[in-house]
Amino acid sequence: MNTTSPAIRLDDVWLSRRGGLVLESVSFELEEGRFAALIGPNGAGKTTCLRLLLGLIKPSRGSVEVFGRPPGRLDRPLGYVPQRVRIPHGFPLTVREMVLMGRYGLIGIGRRAGSDDYRAVDAALDKVGLSDMAGRRYQDLSGGQQQRALIARALVGEPLLLLLDEPTASLDAAARARFYTLVCDLQHERGLTLLVASHDLEDVALHADVLFLLDGTLRASGPPTEVLASPELARAFAFPPPHTHGSVAPGGDQS
Amino acid sequence: MDFLSYGFMQRALLAGSLLGVTCAVLAVFVVLRRMAFIGVGISHAALGGVAIGLVLGVSPVLSATVFAVIVAWVIGWITSRGEISEDTAIGVFFPTAMALAVALMSLSQTYRQDLLGYLFGNILSIRPSDIWVLAGLSGGSLALLAVFFKEFLFLGVDEEGARAAGLPVTALHYLLLTLLAVTVVAAMKLVGVVLVSAFLVIPAATGQSVARSMGGMLAVSIGSALVSVVAGLALSWQWNLPSGASIVLVGAGLFFASLALGLRDRRVGQ
Repeated sequence: MNTTSPAIRLDDVWLSRRGGLVLESVSFELEEGRFAALIGPNGAGKTTCLRLLLGLIKPSRGSVEVFGRPPGRLDRPLGYVPQRVRIPHGFPLTVREMVLMGRYGLIGIGRRAGSDDYRAVDAALDKVGLSDMAGRRYQDLSGGQQQRALIARALVGEPLLLLLDEPTASLDAAARARFYTLVCDLQHERGLTLLVASHDLEDVALHADVLFLLDGTLRASGPPTEVLASPELARAFAFPPPHTHGSVAPGGDQS
Repeated sequence: MDFLSYGFMQRALLAGSLLGVTCAVLAVFVVLRRMAFIGVGISHAALGGVAIGLVLGVSPVLSATVFAVIVAWVIGWITSRGEISEDTAIGVFFPTAMALAVALMSLSQTYRQDLLGYLFGNILSIRPSDIWVLAGLSGGSLALLAVFFKEFLFLGVDEEGARAAGLPVTALHYLLLTLLAVTVVAAMKLVGVVLVSAFLVIPAATGQSVARSMGGMLAVSIGSALVSVVAGLALSWQWNLPSGASIVLVGAGLFFASLALGLRDRRVGQ
């Protein structure tokens, strides 16, 4: 791990898919230990950026680095929390089995999980408040509980960087509040770097340190108050986005 | 159990059990990855491979294995590019390979009879030498499944999550397809092309209906496959039924029983 490099660096990243331009000269950096959010309308390239960082796709041009290295060549696994995991209805995967999967990269191929791994799973379940649900089927949990299980799965891999893709998209307000309290705790306790792709401007404005506004290209970046006050925001969304609690409203008006 | 006093029935039981266990473990991943259709696709592709082998004068099992593995990889490659879905890719290769088999089959009456043997299989015609080949194939497949079980599981549950955790997802995907292709070719001589796909779905579906964990699902899947083989052979002996069909029908019966049991348990739990 190169500690002098930023946690994330995208440098002049271009990406074409099926003849269309998905990302156009996107460049940004995220320092270690910060909580950043990728915001933007549908099709802005938020999930694509996460997929680039995970090494699932390669840029057509430009470079992507995670802790100074190309994605996929890291010493430690990335923590990844998808919007949801779709497994066949009724598949009997327990919450504990789901969380243990986050440990597989550390355990290694052909080796079985040991007592240390199960201790890590129990600790992660405890951290996300799901200890009493460990033996239940993952599919029997509510949307918010499933999200917490996926966070626990990401945590057991002992990542330094957590990537979250629309993690609160299907959650109600209370579950969203619990979710952000949990990830903010993790950021402070473990020094985790967090990058969340989200539509939810109000929540990320309240919790993130940095916002990156994407709309095919990077339109704005900086602290939430600056980005939400930027005229680029209204332009990117093409409609007035929701007001933020007691902070600067989009477009520069004081709410 | 007097039917087990005959050598051909003993060999059928052994061969069926070896392949039943291998298919039962593979079936867990087939169900998890929603690949039920792939067993049909690969087995029909293998039939095309058998026809090629017969025409070229090489071992039909060898040509079927090579052809099935190639077709499985091509289906996997096309699907991974995201251009078309897996079921569409299988839907293209399945009739194409069948058409190839039918076209080659028309060349000779001898080919036709040989191909019909693969189409419906005959577990009772297993020779002692076949048992060793099956034992090697099943043993190798089960060893690889044991080594990569947790990785295949993660791949089936969440491919992107598996990649983020540092697993070699692409290599694992092709390894699973290869295991499926080899197992299908080995199994189709026993139960035939038409029924082999059932072997790759029904045991795991039975396990899924009643189990409460992955370990439980695996155990029920293997157990139901073994019961299907033993009871299927016994029924075929008793009532002079085709063995492959009897085995699959017993498996289907176990599935419906487990489905009813699972539904009842869920109702009681509510």
